[in-house]
Amino acid sequence: MATQAVTQEQNNNVMLNSVEHKDLKVITDHGAQYGDNVWYALTFPVEFRSVQAHYPIFFQKDPQTGRFFSVALFGFKDRENLFLDKGQWQASYIPLAIKRQPFLIGSQKIIEDGVQKVQQVLHIDISHPRISTQQGEPLFLEFGGNTSFLDTAADMLDVIHHGLEDSEHFIDALLKFELLESFTLDVELNNGNKHQMIGFYTINEDKLKTLASASLAELHDKGYLQAIYMAIASQANIRTLLNKKNNRLEG
Amino acid sequence: MNNDINRIIIIGGGASGWLTAGIIAAEHINTKLPAAERAIEVILIESPQVPTIGVGEGTWPSMRGTLKKMGISETEFIIECDASFKQGSRFSQWSHAPQQTISLEQPSCDSYYHPFSLPSQFNEINLAAHWQAHKQHVSFTNAVSFQGRLCDQGSAPKQIITAEYECNANYGYHLDAGKFAQFLQRHCTQKLGVQHIIDHVEHISSDDHGDIASVTTKVNGSVAGDLFIDCSGFKSLLLGEHYQVPFIEQKSVLFNDSALAVQVPYDNEHSPIASYTHSTAQSSGWIWDIGLQSRRGVGHVYSSAHISDDNAENELRSYLLKSMTKAQAESASLRKIAFNPGHRACFWTHNCVAVGIAAGFIEPLEASALALIEQSAKMISEQLPRNRQVMDIIAKRFNAKFQQRWRQIIDFLKLHYAISHRDDSDYWRDNRDNSSIPESLKEQLMLWQHQQPYSYDINQTEALFPAASFQYVLFGMGFNSAVPKYLSQGEQDQALALFQQNSQRSQQLLKVLPSNRALLDKVKQFGFPQI
Repeated sequence: MATQAVTQEQNNNVMLNSVEHKDLKVITDHGAQYGDNVWYALTFPVEFRSVQAHYPIFFQKDPQTGRFFSVALFGFKDRENLFLDKGQWQASYIPLAIKRQPFLIGSQKIIEDGVQKVQQVLHIDISHPRISTQQGEPLFLEFGGNTSFLDTAADMLDVIHHGLEDSEHFIDALLKFELLESFTLDVELNNGNKHQMIGFYTINEDKLKTLASASLAELHDKGYLQAIYMAIASQANIRTLLNKKNNRLEG
Repeated sequence: MNNDINRIIIIGGGASGWLTAGIIAAEHINTKLPAAERAIEVILIESPQVPTIGVGEGTWPSMRGTLKKMGISETEFIIECDASFKQGSRFSQWSHAPQQTISLEQPSCDSYYHPFSLPSQFNEINLAAHWQAHKQHVSFTNAVSFQGRLCDQGSAPKQIITAEYECNANYGYHLDAGKFAQFLQRHCTQKLGVQHIIDHVEHISSDDHGDIASVTTKVNGSVAGDLFIDCSGFKSLLLGEHYQVPFIEQKSVLFNDSALAVQVPYDNEHSPIASYTHSTAQSSGWIWDIGLQSRRGVGHVYSSAHISDDNAENELRSYLLKSMTKAQAESASLRKIAFNPGHRACFWTHNCVAVGIAAGFIEPLEASALALIEQSAKMISEQLPRNRQVMDIIAKRFNAKFQQRWRQIIDFLKLHYAISHRDDSDYWRDNRDNSSIPESLKEQLMLWQHQQPYSYDINQTEALFPAASFQYVLFGMGFNSAVPKYLSQGEQDQALALFQQNSQRSQQLLKVLPSNRALLDKVKQFGFPQI
């Protein structure tokens, strides 16, 4: 499942606690040195409205499961993020999957009234390059309690957690109505270089046009029709990416 | 009189009956219409008294297209039929017996693959001619294809992100034939509109012209039909018993007439699952070894004229020792199957056509049984006679085509024996005896000593086994074929480039492909994507 991308358990991911992690700070600048040099990131319908204003939204398969998930595209090849410039991310909205770093959602088993339950808890990747004790935003207040930065991060992960659950249903609906199709993106740069991107999927607009009204109503009731049109509209941002790339090559 | 063909009655409920029913129903039954308004009805009568054969079986890649056309989900099929992926066959000890001295003129070929992928650019260039110069360094399969190396590494033919029925490397399946028949039955009756009668056929009634008018069942009485398809297995109820179409025995060419089958458990849930059928030659037959999801199916097929059942059993049990403890190998329960290799003189007579074992059966080498069922059902479905008047024309063509296919199967299977150098028993010596080799194969072998088989040798569109299959077996077994006197530099360069590519392609694929077992586990957990 795509949620694995943010909840994966690695050795360096530990549950956040105010004693051990009292002095930790998180650097909020952007750049390759902080792991921002990615050419796409996970996204989900709840943030499509904000994402589509800046980035093309496509769909991809999780190599571990074959399940589809949505991605926001930042470049044309591995490790190319055309939005990174001079320590800044040049867009007014940064997808939550990036912004959440170095926090993750972990789960822990708790016993409540004798019943075992799984609870979502905040984890942190202590080996992430954003972690510092010298600079950045503190996580805990000097005499105990969370900083508002940490509270915001926790809220963000909550949005991601529910957003990804919703995304699973969204994808199921797209597959049910056969609304996904694979496509190959061929781009030609001003200098004549060509890029071909394969393995991406997009909304099948011909299928969408011929969808029966009952099916459209079903998608609309769940809020997915809006997400579908957001994804289609986002394709205009390929031109934005291309311009950024050409500027970079010429500049 | 209305001579239209509307009611198709299939007798027999094994894999052949249900495959035939499904292939015809998927093409001809409009399930959106109420049953009474459909132009074609397909009714399958299955006897509750007749057990199906149901050993583990291999399919060809054609099964993927067949299942897809029937609207079957590959994920469901794999889960419910205990199926796994098969990328071809591996033959061991077919050229030489294990201790036999190997002379320099006959290079070592203990083991070779007949993979499902064709040699690279098979329709552009005959790589077999070019490989001759390199045969000391690389096996034929590894030179012309990337698939043998995948088999060696236990790799799957695709990834979990690969859509249903699509692949990185061509594949068919290993499956449990009993479960397959039940799975097809559910699909045919629930999704494709096939009617199912569980009853025993007691009597066959003919009309004035000798056509079958109806069959009488024990409980449901008379069932009338326009076309009757005999899928009754070894019994051959309609074609054999009713019409007395002669049986053409092939024991003088292909000696095997007995089999001992056994189910072998895996060591644990992580044991590798081979993605090929492993065939290991024995003193008087060979042992099949196929990996299903939950167990292996192993069996010894042999010639009762050359070895006693007891000795055949001993050979099988010593084979089992390689993967079992002595106590397990000695106590494993075996099932004996006896058969008479051969086929009917024709397969379609009057308004009756036979599919599967009712039409013929020859030993399971190269697993052609299910493929032949698919091809028979496909032709019946695609050429389904509109009315009784044109049926005889189609019957004539069907008979000509499948008589030719049986000849091809017999020649191709015999090839595996005829070019062996094994000298450890009369079985192998008798197999090389000129009188046991069909004239058509003798002619091919004579020719192929001087040139490599290619498109002229086998009519591609009609072929059950393409020229590529002959190449894999011939050169896998070390058959000597003269190097052409001249090969253009351009072609030589192209051939070398393709050999290189195959080596690189296997390395690339091995990096991304999961093991056969790992992929099957993922399929059970997530399923393949539809697109």
